[in-house]
Amino acid sequence: MDSLWPLLSAFFPPVLTPSYLRALLPPVVETLGLAAGSMFLAFLISLPLGIAAGLRLPGTRPLLAVLSAVRAIPDLTVAILCVILFGVGPGAGLLALAIYYGAVVAKMFADILRTAPRPPLEALAATGARRLQLALFGLLPLKRADLLTYGAYEFESALRASIVVGAVGGGGLGSELVGSLAALDFPRVTTQLIVLVTVVAVLDQLAVWLRRHPRWLLALAPLGLAALAAYAPRLLAFDHALHVFGEMFPPRLTERDWAALLPRLWETAWMALAGTGGAVLAAALFGALTARNLAPPWLAWPLRRLMEVLRSIPEVVWGLILIAVAGVGPTAGAAALGLHSAGCLARLFAESLENAPRAPQLAIAGTGASAVVVTAWATVPLALGPVAVHSLFRLEWNLRMATVMGLIGAGGIGQALYDAQQLFFYRQMMAYILITWVLVALVDNASEALRRRYKLNQIPA
Amino acid sequence: MIEPRGDAVRAASRSLLTLRDLAVAPLGAAKPVLRDIALDVGAGECLALVGASGTGKTTLLRTLGGQIAAVAGTIELDGEWLTALRGKALRRLRSRVGFVAQKHDLVEPLRVHQNVMAGALGRWSTLRALRYLCRPTSAELAEARSALEAVGLAHKLRAPTAALSGGEQQRVAIARALVQAPRLLLADEPVASLDPVTARAILELLTSLAKRRGMALICSLHQPELATRYFDRVLEVREGTLTGSAAVHAAQPLRLTA
Repeated sequence: MDSLWPLLSAFFPPVLTPSYLRALLPPVVETLGLAAGSMFLAFLISLPLGIAAGLRLPGTRPLLAVLSAVRAIPDLTVAILCVILFGVGPGAGLLALAIYYGAVVAKMFADILRTAPRPPLEALAATGARRLQLALFGLLPLKRADLLTYGAYEFESALRASIVVGAVGGGGLGSELVGSLAALDFPRVTTQLIVLVTVVAVLDQLAVWLRRHPRWLLALAPLGLAALAAYAPRLLAFDHALHVFGEMFPPRLTERDWAALLPRLWETAWMALAGTGGAVLAAALFGALTARNLAPPWLAWPLRRLMEVLRSIPEVVWGLILIAVAGVGPTAGAAALGLHSAGCLARLFAESLENAPRAPQLAIAGTGASAVVVTAWATVPLALGPVAVHSLFRLEWNLRMATVMGLIGAGGIGQALYDAQQLFFYRQMMAYILITWVLVALVDNASEALRRRYKLNQIPA
Repeated sequence: MIEPRGDAVRAASRSLLTLRDLAVAPLGAAKPVLRDIALDVGAGECLALVGASGTGKTTLLRTLGGQIAAVAGTIELDGEWLTALRGKALRRLRSRVGFVAQKHDLVEPLRVHQNVMAGALGRWSTLRALRYLCRPTSAELAEARSALEAVGLAHKLRAPTAALSGGEQQRVAIARALVQAPRLLLADEPVASLDPVTARAILELLTSLAKRRGMALICSLHQPELATRYFDRVLEVREGTLTGSAAVHAAQPLRLTA
């Protein structure tokens, strides 16, 4: 604890000179461009795939399986592959985001369009409409609201990811941050964090506005196109890429690697469990202190802002900072997952408390109980269900995130992957990628089965 | 069937609840939903409120329960003016008014005995209320059991509330009101979501308990035939005011078709 203060003070004051802020503009624009360009590609790929699934054309079942599989490769892993194959820079980041979010959005569109009500579509088909007409006049209008809402949500999440891919050489603000951390230039790191939090806050507001006026989502198409033109990989050396890709096969682990595999996996799981556990405890406290129906505004307002800062800094960025100041290892990884998760969960917990059904609370208050007692007897028990669901989803999410935290030095299976990449042991690297992939897919499936069994719906937040 | 105004002279001596010139405008309502309400209810008296939905039955009950403030007039319960009380004094008075709602009134994640003993919260300290959630004493559980016995649910003492049927949940709500031992018990459409057999059993239970324990019971219903069968007095809420026996006559054709 004695060493904490000098460490923290190294980050202050932030560099706020006009010339440095101007210098940060290109990376910020690059990050925004990465998100816009990759999402443009992702939507372009997803719409036809989603419509095919919605019309239940033959072959959609294997298609959905493929999409689910691609989605199970963590975005940072895709990014590291793209960086190896196509070189460091925004082009690799854009490609990685387009591949990952292409799968995510296509799966989402397919799921939405497959739940379109059948009778109107059958009536339309009975008039002799062709498939394309069915899609244009039946499927898309029926599900327009859902498509736009969830489209805006994924766009928001892609923006955060576009900062993160920079951490492995994908360009933008993330790459800038890695550079400053490597140079131990902590005051500039603080400036970059302030810029990051501001950008995310502005985009959050924009996303809220877009959800209310979804038509304007279409205005992002020309922006996306422009970004695509600016950041598309310039020198695609396909021969080289194919050659390097060939070197990754067949994947292989040495005997020593096999022996170390279980401890590494445990380290990854521990990171997720410890991070989520700590976050749940912190969020229980801060969620209650920020819920509008429980806490006074003078307390809730500043704490809400603090939680916003915690969650607008992505896990990987927290990880980069903590590793730079506290050293590599799973503790830093768990703390990074915990800080971001605490911010996310505090908001979800607060919402659960605010949305607890009113009638039973009024009934308890009607017996003459005091405010504290009404909270303990009605508000909290009524919110526990949603709180448990949110915590479970967060654990699932963190298990996935823990596999990539190693890529920035937080230990576990991701660390092994990163070390292999640094030493150009590509066959080992591919083996770790495949292992990670299978594990994430397993967690995904287990969580989906659990969700279906208890009829829980994922709530985007 | 006695006109509310004509009843006033007789009731003034032993009236438990007295309303005079009451006007209520719930939040967001431009003009009063209820006006010129005058009513006297004695201890042990069972009063039914009937009338089409949207006429103000629920608003009147929620005003009496202290959930909505009146904009004019007085509510006197047991010699205290409900309309003038704030904070702790209001809470104390509310603990003497029990409320049974149509449904969604119990805290479903809690156990049955916890929902029942919620009726005691008005007289318990905060510490005791928190302690009960983790460690109920056997004396407290015995009280919960005896309240549940009165509604025929003693065997469900430790059951999760969510696992109970609609009729059983309604009886738990009544048991909670019994633990509260209120002077006035309000019931808002307590049988609206129940089948006819269960509905009769619940009304029978409510009215007999009110008589036996000397509580005043005010109950809103939309089945006039049930109102005339179980209650001492039936009043109709029509266009924001209380009227007398007309409701019962208007109800006659309904009874034939029901």
